[in-house]
Amino acid sequence: MSLKNSMTDVSYWDNRRGKIVSSAGGWLGGLDAYSHGHSIMNELLGHVSYMQMIILNATGKLVDENLSKWFEGNFIGMSYPDSRIWCNQIGALCGSARTSVTAATVAGTLAADSRAYGGSKTSLQGIQFIQNALKEYQEGMVVEKIVSNCKKNKNNKPVITGYARPVEKKDERLEPHEKMTYKLGFSIGEHLSLAYEIGQYLEKKYGLGINIGGYTSAFLSDQGFTGDEVYQIKSMVVASGVTACFIDAKNKKPDSFLPLRCDDIDYSGHPPRDLP
Amino acid sequence: MIKKTQVFSEKSTTSIWQEEADKNNPYSAHKCRLHGYDIYELIKFGKFTDTLFLLFTGELPTPEQSNLLESLMVFLINPGPRHNATRAAMSAGVSKSNHAHILPVGLMAMGGEHLGSAEVENSINFFNSHLKLSPEEVSKSLLSTYKPVGTGDNHIVPGFGSRFNSIDNLAVKTVKYLSQLEGAGRSLKWGSLFANEISSCGMSWLSTGVAAAVFNDLGIGAREGAGLFQLMSAPGLLAHGLEQTHKPITAMPMLPDEDYVIEK
Repeated sequence: MSLKNSMTDVSYWDNRRGKIVSSAGGWLGGLDAYSHGHSIMNELLGHVSYMQMIILNATGKLVDENLSKWFEGNFIGMSYPDSRIWCNQIGALCGSARTSVTAATVAGTLAADSRAYGGSKTSLQGIQFIQNALKEYQEGMVVEKIVSNCKKNKNNKPVITGYARPVEKKDERLEPHEKMTYKLGFSIGEHLSLAYEIGQYLEKKYGLGINIGGYTSAFLSDQGFTGDEVYQIKSMVVASGVTACFIDAKNKKPDSFLPLRCDDIDYSGHPPRDLP
Repeated sequence: MIKKTQVFSEKSTTSIWQEEADKNNPYSAHKCRLHGYDIYELIKFGKFTDTLFLLFTGELPTPEQSNLLESLMVFLINPGPRHNATRAAMSAGVSKSNHAHILPVGLMAMGGEHLGSAEVENSINFFNSHLKLSPEEVSKSLLSTYKPVGTGDNHIVPGFGSRFNSIDNLAVKTVKYLSQLEGAGRSLKWGSLFANEISSCGMSWLSTGVAAAVFNDLGIGAREGAGLFQLMSAPGLLAHGLEQTHKPITAMPMLPDEDYVIEK
């Protein structure tokens, strides 16, 4: 049947009018509620951690306690309450403007849905890189070649998500993550092993080391997650730090967060002119 | 620690807005200019659409450009109560959300790749990468490899496709009018020829494509066009959302259990 012949067929939408079919779950009023086939009242509440529930809702996977603890540690390390960081600054500005705490937290979190930082959207690029790299590596490509195939910046250094932190090179989150990984009984898998090798090569040749994004992308690839799954799990990863910065600013006088004088903004536009 | 380095600027810079401080208070502006024009003069000038164009392009529009932009703004002013973004705003309104959240809720839902601002951005990029080619050839090439989805709507390229298995009549009718305006440019004309070619497959202009073509003809960039699409849809989202705040929480449907199917 050609597409043209089916143009007046609206059965696809008619079949969905006034009806929801969900694979996520739902609420059976007065009885129970379900998430991805698991009973929330009988199987989950009181039995699994909140992080396990977040992962279940985001991916449909009920992961074991150790992996959820790993995520929990990762969330702690990705949500600093420092209002210089872009998303947190938005939280603080909302505090200074006296918005609601939810507006502030959501606004900051939305801003961190960024290709440059934040740990959620950046996971897509980081995981795509390391999973492709491992495939190429297993097919015989050497690390030098994998790196040389990557995009370069104006200084001719490779631009790879997970191997250079925006603010500065040393990443203080790496060692605690490594310790946590070891303490929870995880071994170094194929992706993480290659990530270390790439990191060492980049450090030696370009002065760029693996950062927490590169580490996380490789570790979670070893745990069988896709980039989309990690993006979904970590969509709110910065939220807690944003809330903290909102509260900090809200407890001070309005407009007192980083006030700007008129000349604190440089003007580079058209000189004064009259309307035609 | 973050040390003082050359990496981050000491100050923010803008070419849009200039403030001259009051001589007695460096935080208080006594004169503000928008792209060089005194804001008080623009207030007296009293033309919102022209000032909006100035804000995003740096220059005041010609009367033809102003007319084209204003017509687009009327077209986009209300996506209607069946659009996902409007429904999001209405859900917030009826469920007694903080009133200040209703517009942002709608705007977030208006940011997607399906009939949202992300599609406008992609559509402007599509125009820019294809305007030098023949619309007939482009459509022929696309249709030769195009595999429509089995069910649901088809967007052959961003801004063009079907709406509930039909052509979006309002979008097509609007383009016919806009194309006759003196401010209409190459994108509207190219898009109309392209739409004509794909119409045999039940596809044509979508609202996102119409907006993209107009923005492109007005010299407004892809990112700016995407944001302006949200801005221009905002009145409708807000109006529908606020309308529901005056009604009881039961004023919109909540499906009974028998109409909610949980897949195992």
